[in-house]
Amino acid sequence: MMLLKIAWRNIWRSKLRSAVVIFAIASGLVGGLFSSAWMNGMAKQRVKNTFDLETAHIQFHNLNFIDNFDVKKTVISTTERLEELSKTEGVKAVTSRLKTSAMAATATKNMGVTIVGVHPKSEKEVFGIYKKIDSASGNFLNTKKKNAIVISKALAKELKVKLKSKIVLTFQDYNGEITGAAFKVIGLFKTDNSTWDKMHVFVKDADLRKVLELPKGQSHEIDILLDDYEQASIISEQFQIKYPNILIEDWSKIQPYISFLTDYMDIMMGVFMLIILGALGFGIVNTMLMVILERTKELGMLMAIGMTKKRVFIMIMFETIFLALVGAFVGEILSMFLIKYFGKSGIDLSSMAEGLESVGYSAITYPALEPYRYLQITVMVLVTGVLASVYPAIKALKLNPAEALRTV
Amino acid sequence: MSVIKIKNLTKTYHETEVPVHAVNGINLSFEKGEFAAIVGPSGCGKTTLMNMIGGLDKPTSGDVEVNEIDISQLSSSKLIDFRLKNIGFVFQAYNLIPVLTAKENVEFIMQLQNWDKKEMNKRTIALLESVGLGGKLNRRPNQMSGGEQQRVAVARALASKPQFVLADEPTANLDSRATTQLLDIMKKLNEDENITFIFSTHDQRVIDKARRVITLEDGKVVSDKTKSEKSKIVRRK
Repeated sequence: MMLLKIAWRNIWRSKLRSAVVIFAIASGLVGGLFSSAWMNGMAKQRVKNTFDLETAHIQFHNLNFIDNFDVKKTVISTTERLEELSKTEGVKAVTSRLKTSAMAATATKNMGVTIVGVHPKSEKEVFGIYKKIDSASGNFLNTKKKNAIVISKALAKELKVKLKSKIVLTFQDYNGEITGAAFKVIGLFKTDNSTWDKMHVFVKDADLRKVLELPKGQSHEIDILLDDYEQASIISEQFQIKYPNILIEDWSKIQPYISFLTDYMDIMMGVFMLIILGALGFGIVNTMLMVILERTKELGMLMAIGMTKKRVFIMIMFETIFLALVGAFVGEILSMFLIKYFGKSGIDLSSMAEGLESVGYSAITYPALEPYRYLQITVMVLVTGVLASVYPAIKALKLNPAEALRTV
Repeated sequence: MSVIKIKNLTKTYHETEVPVHAVNGINLSFEKGEFAAIVGPSGCGKTTLMNMIGGLDKPTSGDVEVNEIDISQLSSSKLIDFRLKNIGFVFQAYNLIPVLTAKENVEFIMQLQNWDKKEMNKRTIALLESVGLGGKLNRRPNQMSGGEQQRVAVARALASKPQFVLADEPTANLDSRATTQLLDIMKKLNEDENITFIFSTHDQRVIDKARRVITLEDGKVVSDKTKSEKSKIVRRK
């Protein structure tokens, strides 16, 4: 206890010097944590958007559908099956979709797209495309009229169409015949991924099914939203055992990039913090060496009156750790405030919106850092403190008490 | 019975081309309860001798026996433990731990020896009262005068119930009043509790109080007089 007391009080002996070190550690951590939170926020938004707009958490496909979107390769999607799936523990919502490749044509331009046939009600429970339509841009298939279509603003611009314009979609039907129909634009959406936006159009399941001549109770895709996305691989494995003839994939398999992104952010943050803490560690070593030099006489006295080398080592280690932890505490508190503030207000990078959205990132980023990250950083700072104390402590142990006592 | 026996003690420094014999074949012994002063001009080897008696420095040759243990043969870790349990130190520059209060400074030694908390508290207060600082237990060194700090140092030196106390120029930084106070306290502790004090000093006031005065010159003992012999000299004059 006494060693802890001495170490703690020692760091306040030279207030200015300790304040400089604490400020250095704190600002290093603020920089590191805030940048990490920023990157993490971008990645999280990207992941959330992917779940929300593209993949949900688990998808069912016919084993041969994914290769070439063959309309005949369907999975059973009867009401009973969908209900059964929705009752599984951990499942929040289920919907089925039709998917086919098509050519979208207007009077001025043709573009390749994927038509997604949806059940608007259950679709809204699983996906959030409908939230990406602002009040002035129509609605998400909220109409009883036939052959309505929702496209993105980016595609509308390319095809030079607007609300109420008509688009002709041409594709292959269930029997392999080329078929097509005209659809009226009733909604324009805009997500943070302009590339994806240009490639997807949404129509009602019933309208597409009719043109495709696809029998009832079959779909190309079943999408499942879970309560916790981290359970996706476990639940998808359970489904796979139950339905061995269906290709069942969780989000990490459907979008390996997203899985990589989350892992990559973890690694990046670790490396980033290691570099910062490494640099800070050298600063702490330097400070502690100065401390040892200044307190040579005192250390000599302590050894003379009977303080063992082990205790001297521990005292210096405590002192270094306290210094590092105080810096970490200040840095983490400041970071928390900054991250919380910008986590609400967001960091607006609208000037780079086009570039960011072309690769699926939002122009407004909301920094976010999980609480356990702070604990992780504290442990890293603690380890840095321990490592940084070793060299100064060894220096102190090499002092000869008699010689140390003679110093001025 | 001798508490300390010094046999043929030498310390030679080879830091220059010509070896310097800081201590040159000294033989001495100190009995329990002595109040002795080692005196001599600067550079005569007082501090070197004190350092070797206190186990802070290793002799080039010869032995220092404390209670029949040859401390010159102990490893550095055993020496630290030996110092903790057997020797009290009082330094010229007080050398208290600046971040601890008077009470904590005294307790520190006992904590190193894992004393029971109650016992430690009781002894600390008793020691600080015995040096006249019962009312300044919670003062830090920078809140005390030099004399008060040195009295805390004396209390600290006695905390572990040592075999003897080594005081290296303890009054060098003190004014006359503080010196008298300190010497009276140490003398009282010596007489009442039979604690052995060995001083190295230039200070005539310390020499006057000492019952034995050992004079060194060029690393050798040139005189070793006890109080009775000292008074004879005074009377003859």
